[in-house]
Amino acid sequence: MAITVDNLTNNTFEDPSRRAPLITGGLDNEGVTEVVADLAEAPSPPRIWWVLLAVSAALTAMLGGLIMLLIFKGVGVWGNNNPVYWGWPIVNFVFWVGIGHAGTLISAILFLFRQHWRTSINRAAEAMTIFAVVCAGMFPGIHIGRVWVFYWLFPIPSEHLAMWPNFRSPLLWDVFAVSTYFTVSLLFWYMGMVPDLATFRDRSTSKIKKFMYGLFSLGWSGSARHWHRYEVAYTILAALATPLVLSVHTIVSFDFAVSIIPGWHTTIFPPYFVAGAIFSGFAMVVTLLVPMRALFNLKHVITVRHIENMNKIIMVTGMMVGLAYTIEFFIAWYSSNPFELFAFQNRAFGPFWWAYLAMFTCNVFVPQLFWFKKIRTSMIMSVIVGIGVNIGMWFERFVIVMTLNRGFLPSSWSYFRPTWVDIGMFVGSFGLFMFLFLLFCRFLPVIAISEVKGTLAFQKHMALAGGYSEDGDH
Amino acid sequence: MNNEVDNSEQKKLIGVLGQFDDSHTLVHACEALRDSGVKKMDAYTPYPVHGIEKAIGIPRTILPWIVLSIAAGGLCIGLGMQWYTNATTQLLPFWSGYEFRISGKPMFSLPANIPVTFEVIVLSSAFASFFGMLVLNGLPKLANPLHRIPRFKRVTNDKFFLMVDVNDDKFDASQLRNNFSDWGATDVEEVFQDQTDWKLPAFLKTFAVLALVLMLVPPALVFRARGMTYTGTRLHVVPDMDWQVKFKTQTEGPLANNDTTTEFFFQDIRAQFADLPGTVSRSDQSGDSEFFKGIRAGSDLHSSHATPAVLASNQEETPQAETPQTEETATADETAVDEPDWVTTIPSQIKVDRDTVMRGQRQYNIYCAVCHGYSGEGNGLANNRAVALSTSGESAWTEAKSLYDPTVIDQPVGRIYDTITNGRSTMGPYATRIKPEDRWAIVLYVKALQKTRKDAVSKTTEADSDSDKKDSDK
Repeated sequence: MAITVDNLTNNTFEDPSRRAPLITGGLDNEGVTEVVADLAEAPSPPRIWWVLLAVSAALTAMLGGLIMLLIFKGVGVWGNNNPVYWGWPIVNFVFWVGIGHAGTLISAILFLFRQHWRTSINRAAEAMTIFAVVCAGMFPGIHIGRVWVFYWLFPIPSEHLAMWPNFRSPLLWDVFAVSTYFTVSLLFWYMGMVPDLATFRDRSTSKIKKFMYGLFSLGWSGSARHWHRYEVAYTILAALATPLVLSVHTIVSFDFAVSIIPGWHTTIFPPYFVAGAIFSGFAMVVTLLVPMRALFNLKHVITVRHIENMNKIIMVTGMMVGLAYTIEFFIAWYSSNPFELFAFQNRAFGPFWWAYLAMFTCNVFVPQLFWFKKIRTSMIMSVIVGIGVNIGMWFERFVIVMTLNRGFLPSSWSYFRPTWVDIGMFVGSFGLFMFLFLLFCRFLPVIAISEVKGTLAFQKHMALAGGYSEDGDH
Repeated sequence: MNNEVDNSEQKKLIGVLGQFDDSHTLVHACEALRDSGVKKMDAYTPYPVHGIEKAIGIPRTILPWIVLSIAAGGLCIGLGMQWYTNATTQLLPFWSGYEFRISGKPMFSLPANIPVTFEVIVLSSAFASFFGMLVLNGLPKLANPLHRIPRFKRVTNDKFFLMVDVNDDKFDASQLRNNFSDWGATDVEEVFQDQTDWKLPAFLKTFAVLALVLMLVPPALVFRARGMTYTGTRLHVVPDMDWQVKFKTQTEGPLANNDTTTEFFFQDIRAQFADLPGTVSRSDQSGDSEFFKGIRAGSDLHSSHATPAVLASNQEETPQAETPQTEETATADETAVDEPDWVTTIPSQIKVDRDTVMRGQRQYNIYCAVCHGYSGEGNGLANNRAVALSTSGESAWTEAKSLYDPTVIDQPVGRIYDTITNGRSTMGPYATRIKPEDRWAIVLYVKALQKTRKDAVSKTTEADSDSDKKDSDK
């Protein structure tokens, strides 16, 4: 065994003369392999895993039942009403799609910026992205009314319909953006996983595992020629995914911004949605990774420094979002458009004032706690703030959609109330998300093993050059 | 399925494999081998070792160019698809495009087509880089003699390997063994390929033949079905709205309750509701032309439903024709047009008495006064507002006529009745809103109004229009 478990050293120091190590505990290549493979090779996962799996499977089953109810009864089972046509489904859609932004951001943008700390967290974040996009895509998918002709969303020649989608509609852009995003994220995730699946293949002893891992690792042998093309392809994918990740939430914001409705028709929506997406995505990554590193003994690979870095990004994007909220109000006043101003007054002081308050508190004030190093390096506080941010970000979309309840026609003003199906589906989508994530933890490499080894080599190289504190003996 | 075949008794030598414990010695060995003139060699590493491409002499991959060309193709396909489907019709004999005219905007405008084009480019390039990488690498590779070597399993863990191909000009197994040991290899062995397992398992052939036969069944069934007549009910997978849960008109209606006393929802058993009092039926107005159309029975234009006159007058009274000079020509033209034979007296069904005039006044004040004014001078509130807007160029409007206009005074009652029924110029038809007898009552009231002003009008129209202006200014 090459794992030398010494005391978890503090690698969050900022010393210009020495780089802090990203992999602690004196792990070498074999150690990293074993730490990650242990999860999949353990005869039985921890009991908490079974408990969570049972709960999330039950919630997923409930979600399936509610979807069947929706299909048989129609969208009337939701609380969607006349001024608030889109209701909870679009709130949940934007919420999940936003969460799905952190994974590709970590794997693509941080890759292009050569941020080595991404290697420990990118695999789990990408998995989270894919599962979140699955949850997101579900909501508009079942909202279309006649689910059985969902393929009319795509430009498929059909004699029955005899017409094509309207390519100038933001809702169609959304179809293209989200499906492209899902496909590219899946490719990116899978491609990064091929060498690690080969690791699992070479270590597994059972026949089924050997066959399955062998099938999905495509016969990977680690040839230098293969690595060369692999790295070029990975860089190209990262370069493609970077504008893609920014475009997706921009296009999601177009769903709102292109419509001529006070409070929605603003140019600030695309940047503000993208910042919010990164914000909520990182919060979700922190919320998931902190328990995961504790449960599965990954503390030396996902170190305090990784969590701290993510917390810093949460703080920055949180302030961007706060700035956007404030600017929106300023522009509403500055435009002297009474309808625009009313829309924003209605958001903050109208019947949904409580949601606006929850949004503003959770998104703007709560992340400010991260100014204190003690808080942003505390695991418990990271999770609390992460959950807080996700509550806030859900309410952000809730506020944007629900405050349509006071439109141009005062006679149709009303209060939006969700039905039990609305609530059940939202809770169920969390079940689906957790279910997929738990399966991922058990059967797939949760850390990008080969990439971490690359980081380790870099760390060693820098240590030899004298700029790196190898085992963080601080 | 036992992968670990003993190497010592196999058939064909394919190379010599050396194992190294770290990347530095591997890179040095690669350089030394290359210096000694060996060309056909490959290194196998757990992670991409930087600098090894140079040491082995791996040329830069052409993958980026492949991706670029596919991306250019994606650009053309993305734009072409949108142009073809949304901006053309009947360009090809099949899958015709469908022109979407939206708010009078151009059929094809680049800005609205950017999002979808961008997503198509990203999607196609992502596929190109992933599958291009696989194809260039010769993956998936289902069998590789290297994977038969137990030691080689550590290539995906922590060991580094270097293999020289037997086909290399400088290949010499015993000398390579020595060299590898000198360069720091911890182990050297010869790699053999067992050609016996190239044979496909027998069951695969049977399976393939069976699968092929089964695949032919559906097309065979389809062709059979196309060649025969089928008299049963057509298979209808998605019924949509073809069969609705509803009762057709003039059929027997639903039962109010299901017990033995047969009680229908409507008292006359029918599945439709009888006309509500006050609704204007237009379906049985064909009989009495004088009463329903204001045209004398048996006149030439009777059969043409008086539409030519309506159309003709609509064409004349365009907003431009409202200047005083053209008014006269319009009047002159009006007589020239083939007018139907209007009735000149109130039909006999209408009693000409005080009650009818009062009823006419009531209806006039409800429906006509908003534009023509309570006094009939064409100064109703809606008209005044519309005139104000049209003078500032915000909308087009044909002024409501004064009922004391000579052209109106000269009109036979049938013509006035027709104006109310079918409308003229910007005035809409009131046939659906006012019953025929009430329309005649209004005609009567209009005639009564005109009588009150006959003297004033005959003097001068100048003074009249001045006083109109004063009225409207108030």
